[in-house]
Amino acid sequence: MIHRILFGLVALLALASTPAVALDVVATSPSMGALVEAVAGSRAKLTVLAGQNQDLHTLQAKPTMMHALRGADLVVAIGAELEVGWLPVAIQGAANPKILPGTNGYFEAAAQVPLLDAGAAADRAMGDVHPVGNPHVNTDPVRMATIARALADRLALIDSAGASQYRRGADAFAAEVDRRVQRWRGQLSGAPGVVLYHRDAVYLLDRFGVPLLGIIESIPGVPPTGRQISTLTSELKGRSGIIIHAPYQSPKAPKSLAGSLGWRVVQLPMEPPEGADGDGYLSHIGRWVDTIAGAR
Amino acid sequence: MHKSLLQGALVGALLIPTAALPASDAEITELKSMLKDMKADYEQRIQALENRLADAEREAARQHEEAARSKPMTANVVRPAPTPAKSTGGFGALTSGSAFNPQISVILDGNYYHDGIDGEGSVLVGEAFQPSLGGHGHGDEHGHGEEGHAHGAADNGFNFREAEIAFSATVDPYFDAAMYLAVDGDGEVELEEGYFQTRSLPYGLKVKGGKFLSDFGYINKQHPHQWDFVDQNLPYLNLLGDHGLQDTGLQLTWLPDLPVYTLFGVEALQGDQEIFGFTLDGDEQAELGLDDTDDGPRLWTAFAKISPDLGEKHALQIGLSYAHNTQHQTAYTREFELEGDEHGHEEDHEEEEHGHDEGHDLEQEHMHALLDGGLEGDADLWGIDLVYKYDAGGAYGKGNFKFQAEYLRSIRDTKFRSANIIDEETDEILDIDSSLIGSKRKFTTDGLYAQAIYGFAPRWTAGIRYDVLGLTNEVSGVDSGDFGSSDRWTLDVTWNLSEFSRLRAQYAHNDILVSADERERFDAFYLQFLMSLGTHGAHVF
Repeated sequence: MIHRILFGLVALLALASTPAVALDVVATSPSMGALVEAVAGSRAKLTVLAGQNQDLHTLQAKPTMMHALRGADLVVAIGAELEVGWLPVAIQGAANPKILPGTNGYFEAAAQVPLLDAGAAADRAMGDVHPVGNPHVNTDPVRMATIARALADRLALIDSAGASQYRRGADAFAAEVDRRVQRWRGQLSGAPGVVLYHRDAVYLLDRFGVPLLGIIESIPGVPPTGRQISTLTSELKGRSGIIIHAPYQSPKAPKSLAGSLGWRVVQLPMEPPEGADGDGYLSHIGRWVDTIAGAR
Repeated sequence: MHKSLLQGALVGALLIPTAALPASDAEITELKSMLKDMKADYEQRIQALENRLADAEREAARQHEEAARSKPMTANVVRPAPTPAKSTGGFGALTSGSAFNPQISVILDGNYYHDGIDGEGSVLVGEAFQPSLGGHGHGDEHGHGEEGHAHGAADNGFNFREAEIAFSATVDPYFDAAMYLAVDGDGEVELEEGYFQTRSLPYGLKVKGGKFLSDFGYINKQHPHQWDFVDQNLPYLNLLGDHGLQDTGLQLTWLPDLPVYTLFGVEALQGDQEIFGFTLDGDEQAELGLDDTDDGPRLWTAFAKISPDLGEKHALQIGLSYAHNTQHQTAYTREFELEGDEHGHEEDHEEEEHGHDEGHDLEQEHMHALLDGGLEGDADLWGIDLVYKYDAGGAYGKGNFKFQAEYLRSIRDTKFRSANIIDEETDEILDIDSSLIGSKRKFTTDGLYAQAIYGFAPRWTAGIRYDVLGLTNEVSGVDSGDFGSSDRWTLDVTWNLSEFSRLRAQYAHNDILVSADERERFDAFYLQFLMSLGTHGAHVF
């Protein structure tokens, strides 16, 4: 009996000594959530606003998002106007001065790394373009490692007591990225290339030197015409490759292109599953790598 | 390599005191393996650093190369600094909006309209019969409403409804501000909204001030281009007017830290309304013995909105709103039958007149006596709203669904302040019906609309709406009455070509009560375009 009580007391002590939740962090997408998990672990109470298969371009600012942001200490966004349609509205509705852009509590991943496709003409004839640069930095694991370190610095600024834990988390994540990137480089060398629906996974292809053979939605935010697809078909005839599109992108055009080229078409989410941590994010990138490498 | 030697030496030096003691072979092997581990770890770190350096160099080289590449000649080329993060220390948001200029957007809204009653329909839907607006008051109040631009008014044929020009910016650390101008087809400019809102109040509080659309209900604060149908629904159009509750004043909202999203708000507004809490002009007030228009604020609102968390695909918001206008005036006119002494008096009077106006017989003259009363009181408005949205996650909005419904109930509670019996031709006061003074006239009119929008194909939505005014449409007290309702069925199809352009076709079958015992049934057809220029629009709930 005494043993049991003692055991109970020890268990209680153990519970009490686990690091207390120090921060309320809101991430816009599961990949940003995974980064927060990797860096802050149990020191952060994490809420993720968007689901794995939701298109971050078109989401609406829901009252429940404002509710999640109301008490947040930090919001972690992909940024570069990817969430421009809904995040500013949600932040405005949250009445929380701690997370306004320009303050410690607002973190944009895209603002921490160099961007591709920057400096394009701000011309809407080109569709829903992002002149500041392509925002989809979450598809590049190496940039994500840089972002993780920047996030650790930011978290340390808000919660200095956890600084060493955050830096350890970011270092561990970066080390794991390095390990996997070495392997992925081998796996992807000589991959024939990919046709994407939208310029979202270009960071991943660019990182590993995988050729981007074409974009189905040549004007962002506007569905492709039949002529665009047939042009793409004649350009790619005789080559090998693979077509990858996200669940929220219409499978119609990818399928017809794949049919005429005799290629494989694969639907892959842009984001890791909800609740993913650093490992979950890297397994998600691993799925992309396996798919691209499997094209030959 | 130098560094790792140095580190090895350092570790060695630190280990000397223990090493000086007689050490067993096992200890020495352990130390050796520790040293080896440390070295491996250190080399791994250096390798990682070297990788990062190489990446950074590649990145820089590519950017250099990209900058060197010639760009097509276009007027609006945004060339951000190579590392935009540096300028803000990575704290801000990357944006294509230019520094310090407000965000600007222009929305063009035009249509082709046709109805079966010579283009009267678009005005008629905003003049559905309700007893508070009957008689004398009717003409006056709508005369007032039509002075401004009417959002709904369209002629048969082509119409340019409005160009909405919106500016918004952060003023300083304390305020955001926005301004919305509407320019109609004749080039007349009207200030739709111009307000500031606080940024940094604690406890979930926000204050908004200026001219703005009230947060009463759900659709009230939407601008016309945000509607899912071309025109406004019957309850809003008839109980609040073309502009809805758009007024000047202050708003306080509070988002308390509760387990469920719950927003509370109150507003104090000037109260210059077209219909709800309408006051007559100075001459009429004097003529009818009514008070001058009170000092503002006369219009008060309170609202609460609740939104439970139903997961990523669902969103639901339920709202309850109340508005009170402390002053509401209306005129009352009816034909007056003269009897007894009054009759005699009247006949004398009419004989006098007879000389001027030959050919009228006495009985017709009788019809020219009117009872002209002034009514004063207050006005209440209740509203319940419900919005549900389903995000199917399909391509370009396919499978998305939205249901939206609101119920409004307006109660205008007034008392006679004056009851003059006048000669219609001369406006001369013949007598005063003192029995009426102080007696009540209470107008109750309600209405509801329900609409559903479904994304039946990528970029295409179909909508259906039923709206009705006057489920209760009655006046109690003096000259009480109970009247019928006006209703309408609307169908539309919207083609969202991109985030920035939208084409819409809409058909409506209207059954409008135009007076106590007269109906107008007609079909109305719209083709609408909406073009959004400039800043990416917000996807507000």
